[in-house]
Amino acid sequence: MTLPRFDTVTLPAGTAAWRAEVRAFMATHAAGLAAERRANAWSVFDAPFSRRLGERGWIGLTWPKRYGGAERSALERYVLLEELLAAGAPVGAHWIADRQSGPALLRYGSEAQRQRFLPAIARGECFFCIGMSEPGAGSDLAAVRTQAVRRGDGWVLRGQKLWTTHAHRAHMMIALVRSAPAGDKRHEGLSQFLVDLASPGVTVRPIVDLAGEVHFNEVFLDDVPVPADMLLGVEGQGWAQCTSELSLERSGPERYLSSHALFVEWLRHEAAQGAVGEAVCNAIGQLTAELWTLRQMSLSVAARLAAGQDPALEAAIVKDLGNSFEQALPRRVQALLGDGRSLDGDLPLARVLSLLLQISPSFSLRGGTREILRGIIARGLGLR
Amino acid sequence: MSLEQRQLLADTLQRLFSDHAQPQSAVSESWNAALWRQLDEMGLPLLMVGEDAGGYGGSWEDAGVVAHAIGRHAVALPLAEVVIAQALAVRCRLGDDTSADTGPLGLAVTSAGTLEPLCAGRVCFTGTLHGVPWGRHLGAVLAVVEHAGVSHLLRLPCAAASVREGQNPAGEPRDRLSFVAVDAAACTSEAAPARELLYQGALWRVGQIAGALDAVLERSVDHVRDRVQFGKPIGSFQAVQQQMAVFGAEAAAVGCAAAAACRSATLGDARFEIAAAKLRANLAIDSATSVAHQVHGAIGFTREHDLRHFTQRLLAWRSEFGNDRHWSEALGRAVIARGVDNFWADLTARGDAAAVTHE
Repeated sequence: MTLPRFDTVTLPAGTAAWRAEVRAFMATHAAGLAAERRANAWSVFDAPFSRRLGERGWIGLTWPKRYGGAERSALERYVLLEELLAAGAPVGAHWIADRQSGPALLRYGSEAQRQRFLPAIARGECFFCIGMSEPGAGSDLAAVRTQAVRRGDGWVLRGQKLWTTHAHRAHMMIALVRSAPAGDKRHEGLSQFLVDLASPGVTVRPIVDLAGEVHFNEVFLDDVPVPADMLLGVEGQGWAQCTSELSLERSGPERYLSSHALFVEWLRHEAAQGAVGEAVCNAIGQLTAELWTLRQMSLSVAARLAAGQDPALEAAIVKDLGNSFEQALPRRVQALLGDGRSLDGDLPLARVLSLLLQISPSFSLRGGTREILRGIIARGLGLR
Repeated sequence: MSLEQRQLLADTLQRLFSDHAQPQSAVSESWNAALWRQLDEMGLPLLMVGEDAGGYGGSWEDAGVVAHAIGRHAVALPLAEVVIAQALAVRCRLGDDTSADTGPLGLAVTSAGTLEPLCAGRVCFTGTLHGVPWGRHLGAVLAVVEHAGVSHLLRLPCAAASVREGQNPAGEPRDRLSFVAVDAAACTSEAAPARELLYQGALWRVGQIAGALDAVLERSVDHVRDRVQFGKPIGSFQAVQQQMAVFGAEAAAVGCAAAAACRSATLGDARFEIAAAKLRANLAIDSATSVAHQVHGAIGFTREHDLRHFTQRLLAWRSEFGNDRHWSEALGRAVIARGVDNFWADLTARGDAAAVTHE
């Protein structure tokens, strides 16, 4: 069996100064954000904020300079992300492009595609979404039925994507579609395409979530023309290309900081009450220990990704533990908060608690559902 | 030690413990004299004594490797306590390892009693040491006793003690040693040695817990692959896979926490990290031991099966050197005292400082 490995990480020299620079930026450009806007920060879409980050060169931080990047290290990027998220910066608009669409282009894209999209992403002007899930294909991603059919020199896409986060505001979608019948394996015959959401035949229909917000969408593709040069990577290699994104997607600080804004508000609230009782004190201590550990684990995976490895087992572990932590946090706070009756509903603490109580069920669904992750972990341990 | 030396030590201990310390021999009544002799010959009790004093000059990262090995192989010897005690004794100039001790120098965690100063560096002690790991086998023991508002670190000869044997839930000796008017070497130069012992002991336990969790995880994986029911290995059932994944994640978290805390302790004050790591380890023990016993079924519940050597230790170690309540309170108080606006800055600052030191 393979035991998971989480080696200790040494951050690069100069980290303290870099971190201070990011904090100074946040103090200027994101002061006065409401607590509930700071919660789940990486889902909050703010195009002007993304452009401001892009102007500083803080999107695509690790990318080659010729594509608009700053060629800085992956660990420096990690520090940037954790500072932005801990402060609740509204990074949702560019998050997906920065985290995985851009890297996919760097890895599999043609030179023309890279030139066309990467600088625009890095400027914070071009936003991407992920076209994977469908009504019949959630955890079972290989069951996608959206088709890519050849027409002339190019392709035509037919089908429907679902739960596509930010499709209503993004420019581009990377769609996983079936370009050939499945062979012996269902994973065969899948391809990825770069879809301009302004193309004819694309209809985006927002879905309102239970908290009354719009984040995800239905995306209908009715004979959407896609030029041949918008195929991403190799035809038929869509599955392998997709799965290579997963470790990137799963292990970052966004996977355990979604409820951080609540933790902060709660600490502030308790300190203002005067003496803190044992139950609250101990809960704070326990959450701190869990958070500290998660950060060490996430950093460890980031270091291995930076070294060119693909620690799929460790990434799945970080996401599973992180999601459980950030999902449970609102309920743990709620259980300890006064007597449950006397909290003023207008207080920032009350608003952010209410929001997170409602949306926290999604934390173990998005980006790899808990049961699937645990199946991956079990496989990594050698059980399957 | 260099990374290579540390790896060599890990490999050496792996071989040594595999030969000598089958879990079946990890029983409270016996003293594994042959293994202790080998550890002694390797100089391991002096792991954290400075090289100028004849020790290894080992760091906490080196200690972490040893702790992990002890836990992984359910070694029934107080190596952790002896290493702590030896380093402390040398630092406080409390006697000599080659004095007339009939056994190793160990550690008392809870001490109470009175003392009368005799002359410089010597006191007359009357009192009791509780829960001394392997007390009955020790030649001498370090204990912290408060007197006149000052913490005294004493080195007590065990030949002068009356011993009442006891054990923790894993059957590891945890003995009560009583002393009446015993002459002992004493030192007052250490600030708050009781607290330091607690943190050092906790850090060793974190490493031991990490090792034991790895051992239990491996055994559990092997078991669910081998055990066939309903025509297939029970590990192919989703219910089992999901639980094992939870267990694996918890074990991984503790391994990570142990390594990170040892790195921080190597670089400086690591009280925060030790508290966080011990608490995190304590929390993991809950699901890990539960899942391990669930997947092993009845056979894992027998005296004969070696699973219990690990799970019983894990259950016992959860309360040693600080249970959940102790460390969550310590961490919580620390966070509250620093204030909410410092929380994130503090969490990140230590790692950043380490970046500079390592350069």
